[in-house]
Amino acid sequence: MSTAHAYPHEDTGVETRKLGMWVFLSTEILFFGTLITTFMIFKGKDFPGIKLTDVYDIPFTSISSFVLLMSSLTMVLAHNALESDDQEKTRVWLLATAMLGAVFLAGQIYEFTEFYHKGFELDTNIFSSSFYVLTGFHGLHVFIGVVLLLSLWGIGQRQNGLTLESGMNLEFVALYWHFVDIVWIVLFTVVYLI
Amino acid sequence: MTKILEPKKQNSIFRRPSSETGIWSWITTVDHKKIGIMYGYAAFFFLLIGGLEALVLRIQLSQPDNNFLSAAEYNAMFTMHGTTMIFLAIMPISAAFFNYLLPLQIGARDVAFPRLNALSFWIFIFGGIFLYSTFIFGTAGAPEGGYLDEEVSWLGSAPNGGWFGYQPNAGLKYSPGTAMDFWALGLQILGIASLISAFNFITTIINMRTKGMRFMRMPVFTWMTFAVSFLLAFSLPIIAIALFYVTFDRNFGTSFFLVEGGGDPVLWQHLFWLFGHPEVYILILPAFGIVSEVLPTFSRKPLFGYAAIVFAGFGIAFIGFGVWAHHMFASSISTVAQAGFGLSTMVIAVPTGVKIFNWLGTIWGGKLKLNTPMLFSLGFIGMFVIGGLSGVTHSIVPADTQQTDTYYIVAHFHYVLFGGAMFGIFSGLYYWFPKVWGKMYNETLGKIHFWLMLIGFNLTFGPMHWLGLQGQVRRTWVYAKETNLQFWNVIVTIGAFIIALSIVVFMINWIFSKRNGEKAPFDPWDARTIEWSIPSPTPVWNFSTAPNVKSLDDFWHSKYDEDEEGRAVRKPTADQLLIDLEEDGLNPKEEIILPNPSYFPIVLASGLPLLGYAVIFKSIALAVVGVILILSGSFGWGTEPLEEGH
Amino acid sequence: MSNSHLSHPTPKKYVQIAIVLGVLTAIEVALYYTEEIVGSFTAPLLVTLAIGKFVIVVGWFMHLRFENKTVNRFFTGGMILALILFAIVMFERASANYF
Repeated sequence: MSTAHAYPHEDTGVETRKLGMWVFLSTEILFFGTLITTFMIFKGKDFPGIKLTDVYDIPFTSISSFVLLMSSLTMVLAHNALESDDQEKTRVWLLATAMLGAVFLAGQIYEFTEFYHKGFELDTNIFSSSFYVLTGFHGLHVFIGVVLLLSLWGIGQRQNGLTLESGMNLEFVALYWHFVDIVWIVLFTVVYLI
Repeated sequence: MTKILEPKKQNSIFRRPSSETGIWSWITTVDHKKIGIMYGYAAFFFLLIGGLEALVLRIQLSQPDNNFLSAAEYNAMFTMHGTTMIFLAIMPISAAFFNYLLPLQIGARDVAFPRLNALSFWIFIFGGIFLYSTFIFGTAGAPEGGYLDEEVSWLGSAPNGGWFGYQPNAGLKYSPGTAMDFWALGLQILGIASLISAFNFITTIINMRTKGMRFMRMPVFTWMTFAVSFLLAFSLPIIAIALFYVTFDRNFGTSFFLVEGGGDPVLWQHLFWLFGHPEVYILILPAFGIVSEVLPTFSRKPLFGYAAIVFAGFGIAFIGFGVWAHHMFASSISTVAQAGFGLSTMVIAVPTGVKIFNWLGTIWGGKLKLNTPMLFSLGFIGMFVIGGLSGVTHSIVPADTQQTDTYYIVAHFHYVLFGGAMFGIFSGLYYWFPKVWGKMYNETLGKIHFWLMLIGFNLTFGPMHWLGLQGQVRRTWVYAKETNLQFWNVIVTIGAFIIALSIVVFMINWIFSKRNGEKAPFDPWDARTIEWSIPSPTPVWNFSTAPNVKSLDDFWHSKYDEDEEGRAVRKPTADQLLIDLEEDGLNPKEEIILPNPSYFPIVLASGLPLLGYAVIFKSIALAVVGVILILSGSFGWGTEPLEEGH
Repeated sequence: MSNSHLSHPTPKKYVQIAIVLGVLTAIEVALYYTEEIVGSFTAPLLVTLAIGKFVIVVGWFMHLRFENKTVNRFFTGGMILALILFAIVMFERASANYF
């Protein structure tokens, strides 16, 4: 490799980009923390009007939650396949992850539409606003994740395939994807179940 | 393509001044030094605008019942003054220092993600332009049934709900028009810029330190950069979400902060100050870092209690997260919360006091060299102590409720942010002037600048203490003649113009010295940290070979030994060492690969203001163009050859 | 690349972990329907289960268990900070009218 890469550093043992990703995810906690806090404060409020509990469909959301949870498994399998340099398997698992993510998104779109038909709209009241902004912000994250996964898959189609060392690496996207998943683990409990 | 610098060619092509290399080299640069310089100039430009706004405010207040400004214009001016100074002046000037100095102080060739660095700069620029485009595109009407029934001029068509945007005052009902949308979305964009640079600096400090640069050997300025980056990374997300709520409330009919819809205005205050108080330390900690570099250098002593200063800095950063509600004592928060936050506010004075005593300990018994940076640093200590002391008085809740919304508060935070942060920043600007330009500034003009600014500053903000205690209310465009407040108000206005004069002196000094100043000697200050062990102006590759750091203040220890009584004795080899260092620094022995310039940061960044306009003008087309710009920027970024840069 | 990769689990292990996660989710949903029987224990149980799932995904799938101390501290630090800050805000908002 070139001399620039040989420029010596105090070694922390974490690849720089991965470290950057972890720092980013740590701040994401604060993003979602603020949204969840607002949602919880409003949830506890005694304010008249239609509530999430009047419109939601627990079995449906449970299934889409399960789908997203399983996408974490396919993601980690893709990562594992790449570590043993199995390009074929990596691509399959990547695509599977993206598809599961897309299924979750489709579920969310369906759910939002249903809620709208039942009169639970963005500007209906504080319960609906805080619900849509919170879950919508998460949905946006899933969407970005799907785009990232598909572009990784696209890069994997090209001649050189994917590596762990350089480029928009898979580990980087995997961390992001798992994070999106754990946020939903929290949201599913806080928003729907409690 | 990878840029490979042959040891011979470099000198002719890549040496500063870089004006030879044209405007595109600046637009596409990913070099932390160029980005730092651009940050500095852009921030100074906004500082001038913010200063002009302040002068306009002061002209209005120099006479009782004045009508130089209308109420609407006054509201717009104080809002833009605060917003500009905090988000467009002090934060980016600090970012200029971080960018330029951080890699030099830890012995790195660049930051961890050079292209992200360029991205955050361009987002900042576009955010600033977006915010100021409110004067052209923005509208600010009168609230229904309000007293503001006059025609609003262009000057009044700027955000007018205060930099704190209290709800519901800044909501659609009481601040109609689009001006406050420009504010909310503008801060959103600027926040993204700061957030990205925070990730970058944290990663850089953790992973890019040169050999032997252990954490406890890092210069204090680097430590403070680290602390500030933490504060940014953990506080900006909160305001980002809160600003989203404001945007939704104003544009999409939600009522997060509107009581009539079940929302909670105090929640806005919580979220705002959860960010807003750490923000205060984001503004002041860089100055702490600068002063901690300048004082030891010109006292010719090591920094007294290095570890204590570092840990106090982190103590401040940490406790700084736990005091936010002292901005809200006059709101409806519970008495338990009032007591708790009063206590934590007293506690945060402790680490701050530790720092003050460490600085005094550093000066104590030193051979002081009272040049301009040193004077500004000493001025910083004095002014900051005054601001700190008036700050502690606010931790007493009954006293605070008395002072809230009076000029006493204005006096307090200007002593901290101007007397503190700005004095520290000017100290740094003079101190590192030779490093950046390779020229010396004019010492006489520098001293004139300092004394004018010190006098003007105290004339401006000192009397505000008693104006406040006499009951003059903040954010109000007139006071009645019968209140007898005019005398001190006139003094304050005179002081403000003296500050303006001192800034003119500074600019003359800067422009003249940069062009015609004496050539700076190698190591002009006999300094302590390794950024002075390389030639000035800094070569494009920073360090020709990675330095190997063996101790704190490594550069100093390579020049000085200690005798039996602990006094510093210059090594006989020191002079030759400096000659060798200059020679080596200019002529690298091995080829150097630098990250390639890139168009994509500016392309990506240019999409964000369009998304902002799309919300304001409810235009899908603008949103589509914005998204296309962002996507094509990201795509180009991702598909650029991967081996170079990031 | 750091050595920590050597200790990463095998695909089989990952599938087992996923099964555990799935079972935990099933228990969560079941708890929602049995709220009348479980009573006031429901909410604490649900929170505990969510924390459990969270820790499993972060620890194993995101490899935080095998990761460097710096990363670990940073992430948990952010987590703890967020929890403290938002707990205070929620408590204050809930109690503002009573104290």
